[in-house]
Amino acid sequence: MSHDLRQASPPARSESGLHEKGLSKGTVGVLGLVVIGISCIAPAYTLTAGLGATVAEVGTSLPAILLAGFLPMLLVALGYRELNSAMPDSGTSFTWATRAFGPMIGWMGGWGLIAATVIVLSNLAAVAVDFFYILIAQLTGQPWIAELTGNLWVNIPTTLVFIAVAAWISYRGMNATKVFQYVLVGFQVAVLLLFAVMALTSSQPNDPTPITWQMFNPAGIDTFSAFAAGISLSIFVFWGWDVTLTMNEETTDPKKVPGRGATWTVLVIIALYLAVSLGVIYWAGVGTTGLGAGNPENQESIFAVLSGPVMGPLAMLMSLAILSSSAASLQSTMVSPARTLLAMGYYKALPSSFAKISARFMSPSVATFASAAAAAVFYVVTRLLSENALWDTITALGLMICFYYGLTALACVWYFRGELFSNARNFFCKFLAPLAGGVVLLVMFFATAIESMNPDYGSGSNIGGVGMVFILGVGVLLLGVGIMLWMRVRHPAFFKGETIKTYKLLK
Amino acid sequence: MKLLVGYTADQRGAEAIELASALVAGTRDASLRIAIVLPAATPFNAVYPGGDHGFSSILSDQVDRWAAQALALVPEGIATSVVARSVPSVAEGLIGLGEEFGAHGIVLGGRKRHRAGFFSPGAIANALLHSSPMAVFMSSPASLATLRAAGGKITRLTAFVGDRPGAREVIGLSARIAAACGLPLRVATLVSHMDLADPRLELDDHLAQTRSYLQELTGSLGLEAVVEVVSGRGLDEAAAQLSWQDGDLALLGSARLAAPRRLFIGPKAQRILGQLNVPMGVVPTLEAAS
Repeated sequence: MSHDLRQASPPARSESGLHEKGLSKGTVGVLGLVVIGISCIAPAYTLTAGLGATVAEVGTSLPAILLAGFLPMLLVALGYRELNSAMPDSGTSFTWATRAFGPMIGWMGGWGLIAATVIVLSNLAAVAVDFFYILIAQLTGQPWIAELTGNLWVNIPTTLVFIAVAAWISYRGMNATKVFQYVLVGFQVAVLLLFAVMALTSSQPNDPTPITWQMFNPAGIDTFSAFAAGISLSIFVFWGWDVTLTMNEETTDPKKVPGRGATWTVLVIIALYLAVSLGVIYWAGVGTTGLGAGNPENQESIFAVLSGPVMGPLAMLMSLAILSSSAASLQSTMVSPARTLLAMGYYKALPSSFAKISARFMSPSVATFASAAAAAVFYVVTRLLSENALWDTITALGLMICFYYGLTALACVWYFRGELFSNARNFFCKFLAPLAGGVVLLVMFFATAIESMNPDYGSGSNIGGVGMVFILGVGVLLLGVGIMLWMRVRHPAFFKGETIKTYKLLK
Repeated sequence: MKLLVGYTADQRGAEAIELASALVAGTRDASLRIAIVLPAATPFNAVYPGGDHGFSSILSDQVDRWAAQALALVPEGIATSVVARSVPSVAEGLIGLGEEFGAHGIVLGGRKRHRAGFFSPGAIANALLHSSPMAVFMSSPASLATLRAAGGKITRLTAFVGDRPGAREVIGLSARIAAACGLPLRVATLVSHMDLADPRLELDDHLAQTRSYLQELTGSLGLEAVVEVVSGRGLDEAAAQLSWQDGDLALLGSARLAAPRRLFIGPKAQRILGQLNVPMGVVPTLEAAS
């Protein structure tokens, strides 16, 4: 039966044996993998974008929710790894969910992944632009330059330029080198630690808040909805970690390196997050006024507010770390929705023009520019509709990640349904872990989605009494349903299962 | 003659195959290898979220279709194979594939680009022109038009040489190519007035000297070659004096400071490249120039 799992749906191996894969075999050790993992997580960016919004939900229980948020990520990632090793060539949520659950759910899995990455692209670009102006202001000593980012006539064009440049680089297929990644990651980690140390040893904290064990206790969070929102946000801050588990052939020892790399990455990241969040809580407190981390004014980008008072002139380093990490992520993340769009075009789940590959640069052409255009449109719309666009997009993003991650985890359970109980390892990695993780994430998804209809949810922006986060998150998913139905009528081949076969259990 | 074609599945790639087919047509062991190079994936450029997304297998399928299209472009009678490989650098990859194949040269299709008035080959052609151990042939749409006007057949070789010792090398090599292809050879030298201390006094003498030096040289090599020495105020003007016929192929030598068996195109040759509207080749020196 295991043979049958590898059905002939991915393109047949080239008959001529023409194409040798460009995987660099066996070059990445544990340290290299940790660097890759941290660069995908981009902690300087995730912290500035996610910390404030999370504090708004859970207050001083921030450390607890970060620890709790890692658990569903871990459970789902175990299932991911199984799907990845069973179908290494076919890729991702779209194809996996299609094979497990059929075309409609598979289509929505792909859409969820595209939506999540498009949303994060627009947020990455916005954060990069904010810190671009902050950094210039710090370098020139002209504070008014940092205010420019609040001016929509400056902010929107600059953000569009950042997105366009990232799309162009990604289209040209330019690669980040090993040295570049090591420097970028090392710098990010060093600056974040410096921030934590300076905050915790500060002689004049804004609102000195004693650190207690209670902060580490997830049970200390008041309401379930705060817990759910906190989890979906902390999923966002660990998003990227699972890349370490899916790297096999590239590592020096596929049996040991991925596991060790993943463990070290998560230890480093959790230590870093705890240090920074404790630093933030100790120094700023969770008060809702002034420099307090609970102040809605500070939610959008916590370091934009705190790094100056905490780090003094060294705040420049923080701006540089966040700018470099978000700009680098912007470029590398652009590849992901482009490839899913390409795959959906290739399997006729979208118009086949999305499957175009540039003959010169060997990269998706239509799909790359479509992703960039979608990110740009999403950004402009949110910026114009919401007063706190960044905050709302991050919350909507958490929602979207819960959706496609949860769906993919359940796809794992269903796909392997014939062999779940054949041994203990299968039971845990293919059944228990992904099932628990998937169910938790989908519960979080529905809980947050329902909660977010409330106009006061998140930043408090709303349209006609419906919360902005709901409109962004659920609206994007409904848009997907609309496009899917349109495709189903216009180009039914994919939906009839002609291009990707749904896996049927053999009896 | 064996040539490696640097192929991209667009107009340039088709032009490269057209030129390569014309070059090898009628030679002994006429064969082409069409190279499709792909960028190497580096693990430090991890795609997240989602990893490969099925990209490598979709790309592989696309490459197979491009390979079939490329093969269909080659005329009958030329043994042709296709190779596709992921390489860290396109130029290095082409050189590696060329060496594996035992190619006499690499053929590229190209576009003329002008930057601030100076002609510059594309990045890949430029890298090859400064490092290839084998000849590099290039076309542009305008130059292919002259080849097509001659029915896709090369009718004459024009070897560009200087008036300095390197000339012997280039003429010798061009003569071998001309003989292999059964083509007449023309030897051309461009003289720029700016190189002379006092053009009014020296020009005629210099031209006569150069002409007799080249005639002596071709004679000593036992060649029947037409020698043309033309002059102008600058290289561009001199180059414009040369007459061209349909099906001409221009050959230029490597700069004298090139390492032996490696191309290194000099500033003069680069200047001439920009002026030509015929397909051209740049050939490496076989031995260290004295």
